[in-house]
Amino acid sequence: MRTTYHVVVIGGGSTGAALVHDLVLRGFKVTLVERGELTSGTAGRHHGLLHSGGRYAVNDQESAIECIEENIILRKIAPGSFEENDGLFVAITDEDVAYLDKFLAGCETCHIPTRVLTAAQVKRLEPHINPQVKLAVQVPDATMDCWRLPMRFFATAKHNGADIRPYNEVIGMLITAGTVTGVRVRSHVTGQEYDLKADIVVNATGAWAEKVSEMAHARVPVKPTPGVMVAVRGRWCNMVINRLNKPSDGDIIVPQRGLSVIGTTSWTVEDPDRLGLPEDHVRRMFEKGGELIPAVKHAPMRAAWAAARPLIAEGGAQEGRELPRTFKCFDHKVRDGIEGLVTISGGKGTTMRAMAEATANVVCDKLGLDIPCRTKEVVLLPYWAYYQ
Amino acid sequence: MAVPIQQKSTGARALQAWFNPLKRSAGFLAFVLMRVTGIGLVIYLLLHMVVIGNLLRGPEGWDALVATMKSPAVLVLDVILIAGILIHMLNGIRVTIIGLGFGTSSHKGIFWTLMAVAALLLAYSGWLVFTK
Amino acid sequence: MNQHGRFGPTRPITLKILRYKPGFIDPPRYDTFQVQADPLMTVLDALEEIKATADSTLLYRHSCHHASCGTCGMKVNGREQLACVARLVDEGTDEVVVEPLGSAPLVADLVVDMTPFALHMAPSGMALVRDSEFMPEAERPAGVERYTRYEDCIECNICLSACPVANTNPGFIGPAGLAAAYRALVTGERPAAEVFAYVDHDDGVWRCHSAMECSAVCPSDVQPGHKIMALRRELVAYKVKRFFKRG
Repeated sequence: MRTTYHVVVIGGGSTGAALVHDLVLRGFKVTLVERGELTSGTAGRHHGLLHSGGRYAVNDQESAIECIEENIILRKIAPGSFEENDGLFVAITDEDVAYLDKFLAGCETCHIPTRVLTAAQVKRLEPHINPQVKLAVQVPDATMDCWRLPMRFFATAKHNGADIRPYNEVIGMLITAGTVTGVRVRSHVTGQEYDLKADIVVNATGAWAEKVSEMAHARVPVKPTPGVMVAVRGRWCNMVINRLNKPSDGDIIVPQRGLSVIGTTSWTVEDPDRLGLPEDHVRRMFEKGGELIPAVKHAPMRAAWAAARPLIAEGGAQEGRELPRTFKCFDHKVRDGIEGLVTISGGKGTTMRAMAEATANVVCDKLGLDIPCRTKEVVLLPYWAYYQ
Repeated sequence: MAVPIQQKSTGARALQAWFNPLKRSAGFLAFVLMRVTGIGLVIYLLLHMVVIGNLLRGPEGWDALVATMKSPAVLVLDVILIAGILIHMLNGIRVTIIGLGFGTSSHKGIFWTLMAVAALLLAYSGWLVFTK
Repeated sequence: MNQHGRFGPTRPITLKILRYKPGFIDPPRYDTFQVQADPLMTVLDALEEIKATADSTLLYRHSCHHASCGTCGMKVNGREQLACVARLVDEGTDEVVVEPLGSAPLVADLVVDMTPFALHMAPSGMALVRDSEFMPEAERPAGVERYTRYEDCIECNICLSACPVANTNPGFIGPAGLAAAYRALVTGERPAAEVFAYVDHDDGVWRCHSAMECSAVCPSDVQPGHKIMALRRELVAYKVKRFFKRG
């Protein structure tokens, strides 16, 4: 079916990618505007882990369940897009070993398949692993390409009729009597400004959600929470190596292409455009990464960078890693009495499709439509189809 | 904090010319040399046909021409011609070898070796041109 | 130097950036900005700072910030590099000139249109994922039949910009596309006859003039020039065999 409703999506990250795909499949007329290149915010910059959910299985089970479900769905709808080598949660210290039972129980609750391996088995799988390794748990982690996976959503959406406009920045909201009726856009290609009328505007700008919603005098409790990552040359593991313990700095090494990416840290900033790159965080990646795989300490550095997680801080004094990694969709009619504006934020690359589904459901509800989501079944086009 | 300094116009679209071997590696230099010497040799061939055409004017014209050809300036041009032939010929050997997929990983070494050979042969030919 | 003490004193560096917006900044011009560069600051870091603090209309492509997505290829002091790993102080100049890639249509500022490139890459048939050749001694866990990894080529368009032939022959498949075709041949992803049909023509494998600049500038160890030569060898062998079979 095809509706006559026009939805404008702000933000060309992974959420925006999955959302335009979902909305055009449901028959909406969709325009996406992104101020820079597609996936130039947080989406392209994360370490590239397709989460099994293991990382959240103890402290944040809602996220963990989302992750394992989406992990399975994404492999199905984007075949050939992942390095499917599984992952290990390795115990190096006795304290790590003590975490095992909690971890296995959490994984079982969240339906994350696990297999416990002995130290000898782990060493045969990963020759560079810290020889102190005590044991490990195998989980279905994988590596994703943070540019090409969202681009498969964009490509498919474009072929289904979505109007995708990178290099077009929203500079204001069109508001009539408390209702958002569209956006004012500046094209950074031509330097011209223009209006885009919309029945619903979706703010899918992740860590920038607060900045954008402020244009409509709406409030979103998003805390940009960057983390530092370091890529070293060489592939020092074939499986994703996680630390078997509660989330902490430098607790993961994601092999990718010919690189190994060590992540990550956590702090909060006010402005997601000015993250900086704290020197001690870069050093800590080598130190903590070296506890998992000693060789990375001396591997040549290829790049060091920071990416801002869009964490939702709904009341309370929680910060950084204490915040849940799940996502939230805000209808500003309910929150701020502003009609026509929806914000989706939080979440992570792995849950991009689920975030889009939830948001498209809200859009449908607001317009009184009942159109089922099809993104769990539709296999995505190759990413280069975006250019055809 | 980034500071804008000045805004000045440069006129035409400043996309770099492909003929510029600056900032490039040995293979690019080889490519440019091949093009330049190739074009040079074609021009020489045309000039050569014009010069040979003087034969039609009879012995006087030809003798005058031979005299000019023996002048030092023309001898220098001869050396440049020989340089062009050597570079084009020897680099042609490189292109043929690696173009068939052999010695690709040492293409820079092959290039510099052949150019060293060209330089030696050129020095020898220069000596011949100016002394014999 | 080890990773401790990689950060060091900053120094001022001027970036001279090509600006172009059709009908707006037209003809193109250079704008200059000054940044304080520490030893780790990349060209991309500097562009981000300029965009955040001095000129929000500056356009450039970027995504992963660690040389894996291939979006931020540009000319830095006249040589093609990935902005995310090109360190400013490594250039050794007080002024660093930043320009868009050549041999691709210019969209605006440092952004080029990747469409022609994608149209040459797509039919090569190279898969995104290949068998991993790292640590051949490693055993595989239950459920993982083979260790895989992404192909080296990150489709950044840098090799085409550096190729003297591609700059004058827009129809040329180009180094990346030919190298990808070679990968598809080697992995068996596509039948040999199909791969050869794709590359055996004037704008294919024979257009290359062995400048090998593609291999020199490739940021991802693909060595496209070497692969083009290897592809020729395979093609010649294929043709010779076919000739004698027919005879």
